[in-house]
Amino acid sequence: MTDSMGRWQVEQVLALAPKPSSVAAAQPLAVPGRWSGTGCDAVALWGRCVGSSAEPYECVVDHVGVAFRCSCPSRVFPCKHSLALLLLWARGQVAAGEPPGFAAAWVAKRAAAEAGSSTAAVVPEVADAPSAVPSADAAGEPGPLPTPPARDPNAGRDDRVARMAAGLAELDRWLDDRVRTGLADPALARYATWDGLAARLIDAQVGGLANRVRRLAGVVGAHPQWHEQVLSELGALHLLAVSGRQMGSLPPGLADSVAAAIGWQVRQADVLAGVPLTDHWQVMGRSDVREDRIEVRRVWLRGATTGEWAMMLSFAAYGQSLDTSMVVGTQVHADVFRYPGALGLRVLVGRQHSAPVPAAVVGSTVVGSTIVAACEQVGAAVAAEPWLERYPICVVAAPARTGGRWVLTDEGGSLPLVEGATGMGALLACSEGRAVPVTAEWTPRGLVPLTAHLADRAVDLGPTADPSFLAAGA
Amino acid sequence: MIEQYWREMVTVALLGTDRREPPVPPAGGLADLAADDPQPTPSQRLLQQVAACTVVRRAGVVAGPPIATVAPPAPDPRPVTPPSATVTWRRLVADWPLLEDEWVLTVLRNGRRLAPDVVPPLLGRHRTDATRHARALMAAGPLGDWMIDWSPRLACTSKQQPVAELMAELPELPIVPELVPLLAAPPAQVARTLAQGLEQLVFGSAHRAVLVNLLARVQPSALPAIGQALDRVNPSSPSIGLAFALADLTHLRHHMLTELELA
Repeated sequence: MTDSMGRWQVEQVLALAPKPSSVAAAQPLAVPGRWSGTGCDAVALWGRCVGSSAEPYECVVDHVGVAFRCSCPSRVFPCKHSLALLLLWARGQVAAGEPPGFAAAWVAKRAAAEAGSSTAAVVPEVADAPSAVPSADAAGEPGPLPTPPARDPNAGRDDRVARMAAGLAELDRWLDDRVRTGLADPALARYATWDGLAARLIDAQVGGLANRVRRLAGVVGAHPQWHEQVLSELGALHLLAVSGRQMGSLPPGLADSVAAAIGWQVRQADVLAGVPLTDHWQVMGRSDVREDRIEVRRVWLRGATTGEWAMMLSFAAYGQSLDTSMVVGTQVHADVFRYPGALGLRVLVGRQHSAPVPAAVVGSTVVGSTIVAACEQVGAAVAAEPWLERYPICVVAAPARTGGRWVLTDEGGSLPLVEGATGMGALLACSEGRAVPVTAEWTPRGLVPLTAHLADRAVDLGPTADPSFLAAGA
Repeated sequence: MIEQYWREMVTVALLGTDRREPPVPPAGGLADLAADDPQPTPSQRLLQQVAACTVVRRAGVVAGPPIATVAPPAPDPRPVTPPSATVTWRRLVADWPLLEDEWVLTVLRNGRRLAPDVVPPLLGRHRTDATRHARALMAAGPLGDWMIDWSPRLACTSKQQPVAELMAELPELPIVPELVPLLAAPPAQVARTLAQGLEQLVFGSAHRAVLVNLLARVQPSALPAIGQALDRVNPSSPSIGLAFALADLTHLRHHMLTELELA
């Protein structure tokens, strides 16, 4: 039963959860100790929840129109904070009060939007749209219900989710056709075969997968073992297509990784709202890769204290510049904010507590592992994110030649370098055949050497963007 | 076992599941997956197993056997050029390549050897010029020959022999007779002549090439004074663009010569 203020029952709140794990995540937060500034009135309830972010998440729920707003970065809707706030309210643990600024502004904005839509009244509301509020009957107890919403405020988001699901299903059908007709099918040698699928994936707003598909087009026929490489990538795409349609049942970190891999964007503001990781970050390596019509720069950082890896990404279209703020071989004392994900490699750099200085000047040493230890690190990373395409390692190893291929070797083992690595000559010259600390990117095709860390300098060996593609001075 | 299974799957994928049934997964995790999540069609069974097998192979990356390292080059006792000199070399190759000969000669005259990361690109740049390639090899030391052994494309492709007399000399640059006296003139006089000439439009963009050649060969002791004078050229002068470029050349040359000096 709802009370005189329209308060919901706990069952109604629980029925709003998009998945059972949302309830499990919300329950620990549904205690007054996790909240501050809670309150409610005849329209909304609000509060600030202390979470993993430095700043508490600001949460508002319209319990009449049934809508939610929370400053957390979750893509689950309603998020666990909204559910927890509703649970508190349903249990009578939220007192009546005046809305604070963030809640009042949001409620006013919604009211204005409602008024605007009713005044215009050009398009009638869909009368039989399903209610976003679960019925008490469905929850097992009859009783008066809050007013059903006139329209779904999440329609745009739901449309996107539906498009993505359709795109993932189409990708899986396409993959199925490929293995059914065989990789020897001449159609695979035509760029249009791949480009057409990539275009449809972009329409479906899964641009991350579209990039992977376009990259595969260049592999067909590129070397004698292209079938194996293409088949592996088709397997990875299948994994993402299946995972993307089951995100709701995945653990949160893995779901975030899937979302990032298929192309779901996370707002920078949401990332910067997280808890920063402060360290003296060594700039360990850099690699530029052309992906479709964009140059992508990856700068690999490693915390001198924590030993944790982090990756800065920057992008440049034709005529634009890549980020040059982090120079290989320098060290910067800074806050970094991790994007959500199982590995959480990607970061944004926040406040810099000091200017970057050459690592050799501050006496910072680069610690390299053995080849065997590096294999273990890569294995753990791939187990956490099975579609991983690259992962940084730093090993103390020497370049050596075996079977017509260059490898990095130490006393315990060796790992092959990627064929035709751009920095191979410089790596050989810098090492003079001896073991030196080397930062490299592991990829399924082999290691890409990025940096040779010598006693007095760090030599940047990473693949470099085409200068004619970028603006002068990039 | 996994590798054998993978090769069988590659074969089936090449032919297509319309023509051949996917192989039966080996006992273990892959077979358990197939049993726990049965797929209705051969193509879906193959995709499931390809995905799983790909993850297993990547996550299970193991090191190959240790490989014997290559024999290092003979030791070279000369001090290596400082890290900043590599940056300067890259800059002058991009902006003022006519300074490169002097840069390499200065490395040699100062008893230094090339930084290792400069050796491959420098040898590669001059592989068609016998004299410059030989000069680069001298500056590289034993590392240069060692690199050519491993990467023959760095070897000289010119059929001509390097000219011994030219090895230690800067190539001549054309300088008009009126400016030749400035090569040996006192620094203040050179600086004044250039700055006033630019402001009074005695020198214009048509003179750029000869002025560049002059500044590339003027005595090094004159460079600081010339740089200061060019920096002070009236910004409203029509020749300010040329003055700016010449100042850049002057400062870069001075910087390159001083940073290569031994401490």
